[in-house]
Amino acid sequence: MKDQPQILPVEGSVIEGPGRYRRRLITLSRQALLASVLPILTAVMALLAWELLVQQSGIAHSILPPPSAIFDKLLDFLGLLLKHAVPTTYETLVAFGISIPIGIVLAAIMIYSPPINRALYANLVFFQLIPKIALAPMFIVWLGIGAESRVAFSIFISFFPILISTVTGLQAVDRDMLRLCKAVGASDWQVLIHVRFPYSFPYIFAGMKVAVTLAIIGVVVGEFIASTEGLGYLILFASSRQQTDLGLAAITVLCVVGLMFYALVVLSEMVIEKFYGSH
Amino acid sequence: MTGTSSGPGGERDADIVCRQVRKVYHANGRPLEAVRNADFSVADGEFVALLGPSGCGKSTLLMMIGGIESITSGEIHAGGEPVTGPRREFGIMLQDPTLLPWKSAMDNVMFPIDMMRLSRRQYMDRALELLHTIGLAGFERAKPRELSGGMRQRVAICRALISDPRVLLMDEPFSALDAMTRDEMNILMLDLWQTYRKTAIFVTHSIREAVLLSDRVLVMRDRPSTIISDTSIPFPRPRDISLGETPEFNEICAMLREQIEVARSNGAAERGAAS
Repeated sequence: MKDQPQILPVEGSVIEGPGRYRRRLITLSRQALLASVLPILTAVMALLAWELLVQQSGIAHSILPPPSAIFDKLLDFLGLLLKHAVPTTYETLVAFGISIPIGIVLAAIMIYSPPINRALYANLVFFQLIPKIALAPMFIVWLGIGAESRVAFSIFISFFPILISTVTGLQAVDRDMLRLCKAVGASDWQVLIHVRFPYSFPYIFAGMKVAVTLAIIGVVVGEFIASTEGLGYLILFASSRQQTDLGLAAITVLCVVGLMFYALVVLSEMVIEKFYGSH
Repeated sequence: MTGTSSGPGGERDADIVCRQVRKVYHANGRPLEAVRNADFSVADGEFVALLGPSGCGKSTLLMMIGGIESITSGEIHAGGEPVTGPRREFGIMLQDPTLLPWKSAMDNVMFPIDMMRLSRRQYMDRALELLHTIGLAGFERAKPRELSGGMRQRVAICRALISDPRVLLMDEPFSALDAMTRDEMNILMLDLWQTYRKTAIFVTHSIREAVLLSDRVLVMRDRPSTIISDTSIPFPRPRDISLGETPEFNEICAMLREQIEVARSNGAAERGAAS
């Protein structure tokens, strides 16, 4: 009776042969291939249809240029496009970089202070109902036509999803887990750092994925209103001169910038998941 | 008390004392009595089971003893001092193992040490020893998702014992496990208690588990949530699972079952008469 019951390793967990691991990799990559082939094919088909439609119908290129013309323009004006992409990218990065801590810190404060939570929550929900884009011109009035007003406006529209998803995540911790923390005498700060935060990473990243798109929108809208540089400015400038191909080339570059930001968020999520994932 | 389990001295000092403990919740403005006048004590080194149907308030009572839930009225003393909040000399186990999924088995065991800001180094060896004793040698670095339900609850046992608490409070720790794993955990619990000898309060709704593990069984009923009986379990230790096949064991189980049944039908009759 003294000796302990024998425990067998759980199947497919700790002990795993290299063969098994490789097999999983192969299935994974085949799945990834299948998953990416169809959307790429669809996109190519759509572009082709666009090209043919424009060629056959004789629509003026100044109204709707074919993808090939946009691509030519993109190559011809690459220097100009990149020059304008720099401020847009930079301002988005700054705005997004500021809205992350704002959202997270505000969420933590709201979780730990019921009075602040009560005071803010209803207002924040109401605030969410305002079409915030409508406030963009006000930011120009308040902060001028420089980068500050665009960055501020971008923060203004992008911190909200981070705040809301972080609040949800911080509250998602199981009641028994919190009881355990209380039982071992963990302080509020310890619970926040060691338990609530790691639990809410998936939520925070979900919020960040929404926020990063909004951050770019914020900057571009700012550039539409008052700016002498940036992709938003270039798009507006090109369309005012009926240079639709240049405008669409700028939009293409904007898409690439957006994708880069999104990829950055996804990559950081993967890194965090390596350490904190699996729940 | 027959005193079979109370050692050579017969009487032992009371470790945990509950006096007229009452808990009232307010749900939607209506008062809800979760525990009515719990009055009992647990001797130092004694293993006491709180047995009762689900929702009868036994977990609430345990949480009040642990200082996690507030007491509406009455008093709880532990080691001679009133319980006003969580105490370091309490180790706790819940129905869910509540392991942090990103921490290894070892780090989960060390969680209370980290939270209490005690020296990790000082407790490392103890953590290893506990994991070995409990049959998890070689799984120190495994993450919870790589462990079975029983193994996770074993990690939770180690975590409850890591700071060498004087008292163990367990809230239906094995009720989410399958029957076979549960038997295994009961054997383990008997062995562990033999080795570490803690004052223990064990909440369960399994009559057999209560009788097998404890020195005394307190039966709690529902509506009103109150303790209706206090039965000494006279079997000598060390015990093992074969005890469950003896007629004496089954006799005690049958008696406890009847108490629970009577309380239930009385309760139903009273409620019927009231409405």
